[in-house]
Amino acid sequence: MRLVTHNMLQCHVKGCNSNNFPLQLSDVEIEIQETDFNPKFLRNMLSKLEWNALVKTALEINITTLPNVLPNDLDEEFLKMLHRVLLETHIKQGQMICPNCNHTYPIKDGIPNMLLSETET
Amino acid sequence: MVSAFGSTCSSDYQIRIIDSFAYLGFKGDIDLKNPEVTFGVLEDYGLDSVPPLEPFMIYFGRLIASGNRDLIQTFNLKKRKYIGNTSMDAELSLIMANQALAVPGKLIYDPFVGTGSFLFTCAQFGSFTMGSDIDGRQIRGQTDRSVKSNVEQYHLQGKVLDTLVFDICHHPWRDNLWFDAIVTDPPYGVRAGAKTLGRKNPTKRPLTIDGTHEGKDYYPPTKPYEMSEVLSDLLEFAARFLVLGGRLVYWLPTLVDEYSSSDLPEHSSMRLVSNSEQNFGQWSRRLVTMEKFKDNIIGERTNIHNVRGVDNLSSVYKKNDVNSNEAETTNTKEKKKPGHYLFREKYFSSKSDKKQIWTRNKDQNRDDDTDNTT
Ligand SMILES: [Zn+2]
Repeated sequence: MRLVTHNMLQCHVKGCNSNNFPLQLSDVEIEIQETDFNPKFLRNMLSKLEWNALVKTALEINITTLPNVLPNDLDEEFLKMLHRVLLETHIKQGQMICPNCNHTYPIKDGIPNMLLSETET
Repeated sequence: MVSAFGSTCSSDYQIRIIDSFAYLGFKGDIDLKNPEVTFGVLEDYGLDSVPPLEPFMIYFGRLIASGNRDLIQTFNLKKRKYIGNTSMDAELSLIMANQALAVPGKLIYDPFVGTGSFLFTCAQFGSFTMGSDIDGRQIRGQTDRSVKSNVEQYHLQGKVLDTLVFDICHHPWRDNLWFDAIVTDPPYGVRAGAKTLGRKNPTKRPLTIDGTHEGKDYYPPTKPYEMSEVLSDLLEFAARFLVLGGRLVYWLPTLVDEYSSSDLPEHSSMRLVSNSEQNFGQWSRRLVTMEKFKDNIIGERTNIHNVRGVDNLSSVYKKNDVNSNEAETTNTKEKKKPGHYLFREKYFSSKSDKKQIWTRNKDQNRDDDTDNTT
């Protein structure tokens, strides 16, 4: 799972409607896979992502390159750094924990399992 | 260069056509392998399985650009490392990507991703793609055959972003206009396991889960996912999560005798772009393309039912052995049920000939992928 995807997800346990994002990464195994740079897509996604949540999540896995505030000028150097964080950083194994209800969503072989049991839906 | 589509032509015939242009008096060398200029002759024999002796029309012109028909070969299911019984044939998957307006920089999502057919074709045209499915086993496949191995086979690692395991009825997406298009083949029971989380009979005691849903092999208890529910969920999801102008492209199976165009589900934020039939005799499936043209209003529901043709349909239900649970829902006499309603029951309760039609046509599609002589 890439960090761009992580930023799109929230806890969806029944009744867990506030403070349920971003899911906290835990026990993760990270892998970097280089891919083609596409500034158009990054700009498109940037307008939708929660920047503060992204910075917080990146810090959880020791990525310190993101500024606390999204700059106004999105130059190529900045977008390339962002490309590395959002699209080239993969979480191969680990867990995502809801900050509100502590529900744990496992990630195995890069695939997050967001299924809930019957009592949770 | 002489080629044929939907038939073959002998090399003698090809040479005769080429020679027939001798009077033009072109002086240059003939190089069939790497020509600088290519002229084409198009003989139109129509669509009949028995073609006429003479073509209806002959066209002549210079080749200025080629289409992408060779992609049908690239994505041919026979050459794909990992497929399932729900994999969509290559040509239709490519057409769906076109209908979705898949271009570089967009984000396209398949909420019933299965083995991933649309992730690949949409990504081929430069879009970024994501998929989810309630059945993680389909996504994971076996060790060396999986959605991931297909992504690698087509060198689309940079475009197919992620696949996730969840039920689209209980999805974890944050509220936002994330997707430029949704491209999907929903599980109507015609395919493997049309299921949604929950129990068919809610009065039964729930199973003890003991936390194993976090393990990789956990597959939750499911109940049938009625087609009308699938459609409601799908349109409401699209209206909520698509960007304005974004498209929803999906398949809708219908019984031919009962179908009318008013059966298509409607939503106040979505308008119909196209509705194309692929006919299999008694039933067909329709490739439906819709566009989100208005902002979604929270609470706005999908409108599936319409009021015409009640009698016509109720006779079908009487003939079929539907269980009490479903009979209850079909007893609503005031409303006509659309031609896809309870499609699964009708499909599986009818004689196996329908299924054979389906299989045969599917095989034909696959054969067509390889039989085009060029
Ligand atoms: Zn939660």
